[in-house]
Amino acid sequence: MASETSKRELGHDDFDPIGTLALIALYFLLLVFLWLFMYFVEFLGNEPTVVGLI
Amino acid sequence: MNIHTYEKLWLVGAMLLIVGFIATVTYGAVGVGVTMIDDSEETIDPTQLDEDERFSEPRVEQVGENEYDVYVVARQFMFQPDPIEVPAGSDVTFYVTSADVIHSFSVAGTNVNTMVIPGEVSTMTVEFDEPGEYGIVCNEYCGSGHHAMEAMLIVQPEDEFELEEGEN
Repeated sequence: MASETSKRELGHDDFDPIGTLALIALYFLLLVFLWLFMYFVEFLGNEPTVVGLI
Repeated sequence: MNIHTYEKLWLVGAMLLIVGFIATVTYGAVGVGVTMIDDSEETIDPTQLDEDERFSEPRVEQVGENEYDVYVVARQFMFQPDPIEVPAGSDVTFYVTSADVIHSFSVAGTNVNTMVIPGEVSTMTVEFDEPGEYGIVCNEYCGSGHHAMEAMLIVQPEDEFELEEGEN
């Protein structure tokens, strides 16, 4: 049970969720890699493609 | 406003991601020339295809030095003409319409894939660089024979290609 004496104050920038940051960074890199793979390899690599003027 | 350093990182990262998505699609459209198949063609009467100058005789037609037009009619349960023969190293524009129900014109294993709607003309230009054979299938359920609705697209070596008699 937490007593009054064990309470500690955390300032705004003292909160440091480095694990969450690392996890999101990992998700981010995965997302970037999968997007590039899907667009450049799976889509543009699947020639011939419909081309023309916009 | 007090924003945590990590939150700033996540905000900037999310923005960069959106810019990156838009940049790749823009590169595809401007750099590679990828385009969408739209409904800009005039509508036609699907019951009167026999009298339509483009579709009364489905065919391959040469329109420029390395440019070909292909007029395709999809109907239950076939594509006309079959096979479609074009030379390698050419720009081929397909005009596809349906005589009866909704079909699709899908060159298997490629990005050439569109719905074919009675009354509408699906138009798409494709560059064929290498000789090869492709299957064309219908991927919109169009009736009891849907699974057998297929055709061949043959890209012939440039020096072997000849338009058949009566064509052009």
